[in-house]
Amino acid sequence: MRGIGLAGSAVRVGLPALDAMFNSSGSAYAAGRLAGRKIESRFVFWFNGNGIAEKYWIPQETGAGFAFTPCLQPLAALRDDIHIISGLDSPAARLPGPGNSHYPSMSALLTGRIFTGRGAGGPSIDQLIAKKVGNDSRFRSLQIGVSQESFGESIQQNMSWADRDRPLPPEMIPHRLFDRIFGSKEEHWVQRQKSILDAVRDDAHNLKDRLGSGDKSRLDEYLTSVRDLEKSIAALPPEYQQVVERPPEGGDMRDWPRIAKLQSDLLVHALASGQTRVASYMLTKCQGLSRFPWLGHTSQRHHEYTHGQVETPRGMRILRDICRWHVEEFAYLVAKLKATPEGDGNLLDNTVLLFVHEHAEANAHKNNGLATILAGHAGGVKTGLHTRTTGTVGDLYLTVAEEALEAPIQAFPTAHQKLSWVI
Amino acid sequence: MSTSPFPKILLTATLVYFSLLTATAAPVAEGPEFFAKQLLPILETAQCRQCHNANGIASRTRLQFPDAEAGAGRIEAFALSLRALIEPSRPDQSLLLRKPTQRIEHTGGQRIVPGGPEEQILLAWINYLARQSPDEAAPSRNDAARPQGKVRRLTHSQYNNTVHDLLADQTLPAGQFPQEDVIHGYRNQIEGQGIPPLLAEAYNRAAERLARNAFRGGDQQSLIPCRPASANDAECRNAFIASFGRNAFRRPLTPEEIDTYGKLFTLGAAEQGEFIEGARIVVETMLQSPSFLFYAEPSPPAALRPYQTASLLSYFLWDTLPDEPLLEAAAAGRLDSGADIEKQIRRMLKDPRARQALNQFLAQWLRFDRVETAVRDRRLYPEFSAELVDSMIEETRLLFNAIVWDGRDFTEFFSAGYGFLDTALARLYDLPPPSAEFQKVVFPADSGRAGILGQATFLTVTSKPADTSPTERGLFVRQHFLCQTVPPPPPGVDTTLPALSDDKPMTVRGRLAVHLSNPACAGCHRLVDGIGFGFERYDAVGRFRNEEIVKIFPTQDELRRKVKTEPSEYKLPIDPSASVYGLPNSDFSSPSELGRYLAQDEGCQRCIVKQLFRYAVGRLENDSDQPSIDAAFKRFRDSRFQLQELIIAVATSESFLGKSKL
Repeated sequence: MRGIGLAGSAVRVGLPALDAMFNSSGSAYAAGRLAGRKIESRFVFWFNGNGIAEKYWIPQETGAGFAFTPCLQPLAALRDDIHIISGLDSPAARLPGPGNSHYPSMSALLTGRIFTGRGAGGPSIDQLIAKKVGNDSRFRSLQIGVSQESFGESIQQNMSWADRDRPLPPEMIPHRLFDRIFGSKEEHWVQRQKSILDAVRDDAHNLKDRLGSGDKSRLDEYLTSVRDLEKSIAALPPEYQQVVERPPEGGDMRDWPRIAKLQSDLLVHALASGQTRVASYMLTKCQGLSRFPWLGHTSQRHHEYTHGQVETPRGMRILRDICRWHVEEFAYLVAKLKATPEGDGNLLDNTVLLFVHEHAEANAHKNNGLATILAGHAGGVKTGLHTRTTGTVGDLYLTVAEEALEAPIQAFPTAHQKLSWVI
Repeated sequence: MSTSPFPKILLTATLVYFSLLTATAAPVAEGPEFFAKQLLPILETAQCRQCHNANGIASRTRLQFPDAEAGAGRIEAFALSLRALIEPSRPDQSLLLRKPTQRIEHTGGQRIVPGGPEEQILLAWINYLARQSPDEAAPSRNDAARPQGKVRRLTHSQYNNTVHDLLADQTLPAGQFPQEDVIHGYRNQIEGQGIPPLLAEAYNRAAERLARNAFRGGDQQSLIPCRPASANDAECRNAFIASFGRNAFRRPLTPEEIDTYGKLFTLGAAEQGEFIEGARIVVETMLQSPSFLFYAEPSPPAALRPYQTASLLSYFLWDTLPDEPLLEAAAAGRLDSGADIEKQIRRMLKDPRARQALNQFLAQWLRFDRVETAVRDRRLYPEFSAELVDSMIEETRLLFNAIVWDGRDFTEFFSAGYGFLDTALARLYDLPPPSAEFQKVVFPADSGRAGILGQATFLTVTSKPADTSPTERGLFVRQHFLCQTVPPPPPGVDTTLPALSDDKPMTVRGRLAVHLSNPACAGCHRLVDGIGFGFERYDAVGRFRNEEIVKIFPTQDELRRKVKTEPSEYKLPIDPSASVYGLPNSDFSSPSELGRYLAQDEGCQRCIVKQLFRYAVGRLENDSDQPSIDAAFKRFRDSRFQLQELIIAVATSESFLGKSKL
């Protein structure tokens, strides 16, 4: 059952051998046969809505000796695995004219392009990277989400965009994410699905021929999705299900810390087993409306807290608690990657994560001077630092993509230079 | 430059340029490119477009910027069309100059500083236009727009209803699909109807489960119209494919399709040696076919057009697939003429499914989802609960349905002096309990309530957890009832309102006064806050209040120093005087007064048409829809605002049905 390929498909859908990947207890991946082979880099694009309380988030000192701020505290044990970068500009947020809302900030942050009035203006950085490095994986990329509390607009709900106005929605339910990645299927089922999808594709081609360009692109999207689906329905060896536990279907589905950890666990397994190299992780929505019962803050929602009472010490402390929680979930994923052996090191050695928000200071909707966290070691990115920069998010993306991930994306709309101090 | 179509003017302009250069060095526009290069960036910085667009606050003025992504041709046409706003003989008296500099009253305030370099550039363009003959400046709108999709994908709700009608499925599989995004206020907009991989997978999983369930248990007679003699009985196989396919695709299958699905059937039947297995794979495949998932292609083959009409009508009016009489009418050529189509619509509107479907429109137009997910500070609103929210929504739904289906004037939705209350709502509104739940109740005149604006759904969806929000209430009225978008705040603005203090306790209105005293905020906020103030006698869950109770909690510092340990409470008088800035004689101080005003306002009446149109057609209206919209509005008005007549007008319009010989 190693490396099952679909007949007629040029792409080899590779699933690493189980015995090589897991240690005897099944709790972690071991070196084994993968050792010695050049290990592929992975990319995780992590988003969190609304922005931050800068004074609790951005360290005062730069360089190696920076002190962890209250919000960054959960990363203290991972100092040598992260690089705090503040001061990034996102110029497309201010196009076409002055304005200040979550929508243009979100589109600019993800794609470097102007908000279209409906969605993001082009492909997001994770998709540009996936196009270069994801084609040999079972999933070109994965979109994972946690909190669903949102005003519901397209630009608020999605962080990955295949192209202009074409969102890639995240899977926010852990057991469904499990079924998608680790659901075991039989060979016979795979063959049957292939016949079905062939017929679907024929129907789509017939219809597409009769359509104008505006609709053709949507049929093309469906055809691409069907192709992706064909690629991903390859059977999984049943052993996977014994190692990766299927998350429960019940439980509190608004307990975001619980869901976040389940999703992170699944993501780590997916990255470790080589099923994808690129993932986006949307902890909360753009202009998100999460509630925080576990923090004791229930009278309002996140977006309201960012504007409602920031003048009071209590209001600021609430924002501090919230942004600390965001970083806590990020730290959980980073630590989990670090605890997963791969080759002679661990999975984090071969991964780069980038943690972004649509705004810096949340109340002011500040769309320049953004603060991000770069984590991991793929490509030898520099860590253990806080750097204050005047570059753009585009500069950072271009640097990470080409220098750390070897994804030759060549350009990004707001990139003017590579940031030499990142690698 | 030598290719300029205006050589003479160029010469003159050049001479003027040189003569001015020595004097004041004022800029001179030499050709249309001056606008795009010099003036447009200034106008964008001044944010003119934010209000002056097709759905902006200033949509009723003569200045409307083209789409932000308009090409060079469209921008040039727009630049030249500004000639309508100038005084060729006295350029400095032009509206185009006097409005943005606030030399005469401009709703958007002063956008260009008088006497500054920006004004010089604006004046240069006005001088240029003044030199053009009206013909040269005639606007042309032939710039190619971005191709727009027309094909509709089943919404999640339509998917559920369709598989229910097709397979008697009760499981509502679309509940497992990725959520639909809101675009232009609705969840059914074509621009949001792609099929990303996650949705394709969800369709795939749902199809597998639905096909399995369809042939479980006894009753398969309804799906298989014959008794198969063998696992691959060709006659029965083709009869099944033709009959199920016609229902699933809402049109007859072509012989090629029957053949293709026949092969698939054979494959499935052969595996297990059972007819039903063949049928199962056909169902599973058809449920993933674009012919099932999509409908309404822009130029269908002539033979398919009546079937397409049938699908369009049934998905709009019923939110599900066409019934047998509709498909028969399509087959018999009784769905071609406008009269035939209208006959079907009238039949369909009598069916209970029409009410259900229209409730979808209502729920999205008024954002019931946001009422359902509203959060309230329990200390301030202890009565607020999920049950109360259900009652609120039911009240709105009952008023809407009573007006629509009893054939009443739809403007009553804004002005009705009655409502439908249960005990909980009556308590909230401080009225005597109704004789039966959700009984019709006439509001006392002094309640100030009328129509939707006095209802708890509206008053709640526009409030914050602890406070009312006049800003949100004004925005909601502008966007949902006047179809006007309002620009976002300028960058870097601190949106924090003044803190409450015991030295100077303030009402929400008092705190919002900063919006109106700061010129950067005032331009837009008087447009929205000015409306919202009129609802201040109703709190964040819609309860009437004579005074605003302001609670000021002790700060950490005060607690520490023990100078204040308990919250202080103030009862402050409320000033509900308000108006709709930009609309004449629109002063009001209660929901009922504004409701009566909106009921009479053509802008609001036209907005109802636009909202239904956007929902029906699945996209924002554009220039080419104007005839359809105008005709629909006329019919709506001529029928004394019967919403059913508006529905018929929209459903028979060219924008809805596509170009054809009706």
